[in-house]
Amino acid sequence: MRNPLTILRQRLEDHREVRADGGTATEAGSILDRDSVRSAPFWLPPFLLIGLFIYGAIIWNIVLSLTDFQGLGSPDYSALDFENYVIAFVGGTPSWSELTVSPVWNAAWNTVVLMVSFSVVCLAVGLVMAILVDQEIRFENTFRTIYLLPMSLSFVVTAKFWLYMYNVETGLVNIILGAVGVGPIEIVQNPDLKLAAVAFALIWQFSGYAMIVYLAGLRAIPTSHFEAARVDGASTIRMYWRVIIPQLRTATVSALVVLTVFSLKAFDFLFSMYGGYQPGPSADILATRMVREAYANGNWAYGSAIAVLLFIMALAIVAPYIYTQYQRGEL
Amino acid sequence: MSEHEPNVSRRTVLTTTSAAAVAGLAGCSGGGGGGDGGDGGSGGNELELLHAWSSGDGNAAIAALIEGFQEEHPDVEFAEEPVDGAARSNLDQVVLNKLQANDPPSTFQTWPGKTLAKFDGAYEDIEGDVWDDDLKENYLAGPQEQAQYDGSYVTVPLNIHRINNLFYNTAVLEEAGVDPESLSSPSDVVDACETIAAETDAVPFAQQTSGGWSTVQLWETILLGQAGIDGYEAFINGNGDTAAVESALQSVVDLSEYYPSDSSSISFTEANTMVMDGDAAFIHQGDWAAGAYSNADDFNYGDDWGQVTYPGTSRSYLLNMDSFPYLANNPSPEATKQFLSYCGSAEGQVLFNAEKGSIPPRSDADVSSLNNFQQDQFEDFNAADNQPPSIQHGLAVSPGVSTNISSAFSGFLEDYDAAATADALINAFN
Repeated sequence: MRNPLTILRQRLEDHREVRADGGTATEAGSILDRDSVRSAPFWLPPFLLIGLFIYGAIIWNIVLSLTDFQGLGSPDYSALDFENYVIAFVGGTPSWSELTVSPVWNAAWNTVVLMVSFSVVCLAVGLVMAILVDQEIRFENTFRTIYLLPMSLSFVVTAKFWLYMYNVETGLVNIILGAVGVGPIEIVQNPDLKLAAVAFALIWQFSGYAMIVYLAGLRAIPTSHFEAARVDGASTIRMYWRVIIPQLRTATVSALVVLTVFSLKAFDFLFSMYGGYQPGPSADILATRMVREAYANGNWAYGSAIAVLLFIMALAIVAPYIYTQYQRGEL
Repeated sequence: MSEHEPNVSRRTVLTTTSAAAVAGLAGCSGGGGGGDGGDGGSGGNELELLHAWSSGDGNAAIAALIEGFQEEHPDVEFAEEPVDGAARSNLDQVVLNKLQANDPPSTFQTWPGKTLAKFDGAYEDIEGDVWDDDLKENYLAGPQEQAQYDGSYVTVPLNIHRINNLFYNTAVLEEAGVDPESLSSPSDVVDACETIAAETDAVPFAQQTSGGWSTVQLWETILLGQAGIDGYEAFINGNGDTAAVESALQSVVDLSEYYPSDSSSISFTEANTMVMDGDAAFIHQGDWAAGAYSNADDFNYGDDWGQVTYPGTSRSYLLNMDSFPYLANNPSPEATKQFLSYCGSAEGQVLFNAEKGSIPPRSDADVSSLNNFQQDQFEDFNAADNQPPSIQHGLAVSPGVSTNISSAFSGFLEDYDAAATADALINAFN
């Protein structure tokens, strides 16, 4: 069976004439001839699917955030305004509600604090672990697996586990604190420690991931670099600080992006730990606020507006990464 | 592709696949607009019942109810779908999706009262069809009011869990020399806790504070006890007195001195187990706490544990109910109405509540087949002067206000600042 495309191309080629001036390639055949068109059956279906379900959904969400959609029924797309964003930034009583709605600053601030502290500490811990595991120690694989294992747990398991670990009477954290003469300290509902406790548990879960990324980066550095630094008389710390770590830039950036996105998704953790989407003002993040507005109150448009803010925050982190990758020709 | 089908080229397969995918997408986008599924005129005898009772006593209760109904109406089939997930937040989401898609279920499990506002406009009046004179005569005023939304009867309450209970471990109270019957106000409970702390090793007041709900229901009970039914109703109608609200919160702060020290890390189940094990004296909970006691060996009502109406609220029966509403555009109108009528019958309610551990809302129900504790509760229910709706359990306030109240309490659990929380609670209605 001859492929229709091949037949068509053959016909077009029959009509094509060679022109002395080189011609202006305007024949219809040239479009069908392009690689991008010929490979369309391979890239088009996933392109359409992702376009519709991811980018389409994002755009729809943005449009939805401009409506007054609330409760049952369907959104009215004829009157779009930025009211929800005004409410999100300054609060007030919106036209779609009888109740006053508070701004999202508190949740946004908590989100940023959680994101930054979690990502930075996670990277630091991961780097140290990677360097230690890279020393060609015995049972290296075992250590690697042990460090990575928490990542395989779901947020729900981690949350319940740390709820137990933070227990004032029987939790390991307070037992250790007690051994060094501190405490016992209330952690789970302590406004000063809540967010730190959440970040700590997440660091425990994800530093293994940072370690794996760094380990791969370290293994890619030729041994000669280590040897050259040694020959030049660099101490171990100086060698890592001046020679090795600068070469881990790519690993750092890619791990950072993934970790940041994880921190934006800490919703599951808070939901499990505090038995719902009310973790309290000192641990409330945009994700919990968004779900509260949308699913508890039925304020769909306002929930969408918070989702857009969350999306912009994620984009602000990912976009520079993608741009530098693009500039360095790695994309 | 297998080699037995050499005529199908890869490209054909790809083309077909993508065509199918595009067709599938078209199907997705078309689904939202049409009234597909809703027009169940022909299959009108299949009843789609959504509930979250997927395990434990709830599951046994709904099974007993359906079995009883099917004995009377063998022609009605059930497309019964337990929706998994904690409590009912997931269930509400499923129902919402179906309503948005114009494909309502026959009925679903929901709290009555102001919670109904969540699906405003989705219900249909069933006064006359289901809410006939028999139901109206036999439901007390409180539950009957909760069955209405905007003045029309739209749902049928099936059971009542009481919120204003104080459960206790008899042995611990005896050791401390505290007589629970002698307590007459919320502050007496605080005093009793002080005695228990001094006289025994037990935790006086078992409470969990990792989630806010136990504290909200404790506060609403104390508010009812201190401000009385008038003060309580003023609050749920948005005209609350800040001083009364703050005083009730202060009483919670006083009680919190007697919580387990690890209250923020434990769940309700663990708190309740402390009472059963004799490690705690009191627990304030809905009467589902008693369900765990009756399942335990050697922990018997009257001998090992007891219950008093929360001191100060003796004339009230603070309601938490489940109900089945009638949705407009119903896929099985007749069968749904038959089922709701059965839910409103004394027989159906007794079958259900025998398993669930709550009491029937019908005051004429024959409760002799229920356990002693339930019979005592039922007697209290019929003797109560009023049956106010619970705030925490969605009856008293609309979902938006309820979220504000939960938020206020999530802050309260962090700092126990009674004054600031009182302001937040009063402002929850604005």
